[in-house]
Amino acid sequence: MYKTAMLTKDLVAASSKPLLLSILAGGESYGYEIIQKVRELSGGQIEWSDGMLYPVLHRLERDGLIDSEWKEADTGRERKYYFISSDGYKALKTERQQWLAVHNTLSRLWKIKPVSI
Amino acid sequence: MENQTRFDLNAAIGGWRQALAVQSGLSPDDRRELETHLRDAIAGFQQHGLNDEESFWLACRRVGQLQQLGDEFAKADPTKVWRERAFWMVLVLFLSSVLMSVIDVMAFDLQVVRTPLDNGFLQMMQTIAREVVALSPILIPLVIALLVRSKKMVHLFLKLTRFIENRLHLAIGVSGILAIAAALVTIAAKMHNARIDSLGLHSARLHLTVSIWQVLNSTFCYPLMIALVLFLLMPSKNRKTSKCA
Repeated sequence: MYKTAMLTKDLVAASSKPLLLSILAGGESYGYEIIQKVRELSGGQIEWSDGMLYPVLHRLERDGLIDSEWKEADTGRERKYYFISSDGYKALKTERQQWLAVHNTLSRLWKIKPVSI
Repeated sequence: MENQTRFDLNAAIGGWRQALAVQSGLSPDDRRELETHLRDAIAGFQQHGLNDEESFWLACRRVGQLQQLGDEFAKADPTKVWRERAFWMVLVLFLSSVLMSVIDVMAFDLQVVRTPLDNGFLQMMQTIAREVVALSPILIPLVIALLVRSKKMVHLFLKLTRFIENRLHLAIGVSGILAIAAALVTIAAKMHNARIDSLGLHSARLHLTVSIWQVLNSTFCYPLMIALVLFLLMPSKNRKTSKCA
């Protein structure tokens, strides 16, 4: 069934940038928490391989869209926290427009109510 | 694994860490981040009622194949891996250059005052000893390379990477080494000068005694330059730690 199928590899790769930027736009976070959030929000349909998340985060960081910092959590465990930069917000805006354009086009074809940009 | 064997979670994580350490393409920072993730995942499974062993294996599965991980990390930032490698190479270069400078000053004393010896055999032994001492800085990288190849150094190497976590640590370490070297060179130069005096070579004093300042200058020019390169290569970002609110 298509309804329960997992995202294809290409789609996972393409959607990781807007997903990560959107999550971080909601507040700083660390790898494990981000994975949990994506799993939860997608109802398990978007399943990232945990370790592969980090190269993506590092690429976004190198592009200046996010920053990172090691911080000690309440539990005493140190974690690397990521947060979105001002360039990241700009990139997110563009991503949002592009994804909604795709979404709206498909929605019209499938006769679903489009979402306003 | 047999039922009665108790599963040691810390040992298992230690083994995982070692397997990760031999993957090229991962920086110490990457490894640290992945280990935190593994521990978070283990804790998550434990909260769901799984035991240590089950949690560990599931968390490992989640994190993924280590070989694949190394490749992906290297693809994300190919220059970083080389920057880190260059850092360690320059660190070894720094240590051997300091050692070479110190040995130079000490060997200078040997050459001027102790030779020639009357006894031919002793003289030969002394020459051999001097050559071995003079060559020892070149042997350091060789010994380190052999140790790294044997993979026995992984544990020690990991400890070292944790020790050099930021530029402050590096600065303290580098100045400490330079201070020890400066002290050794000064003592060697003073002993040399004192020996010249005691031997009554006053007429030749101009040629035989050494100015300690000059020695220090010539000794530390090169190591200081290398130390500067070390600081430039040191990835300072992401190493800082602050308390989370």
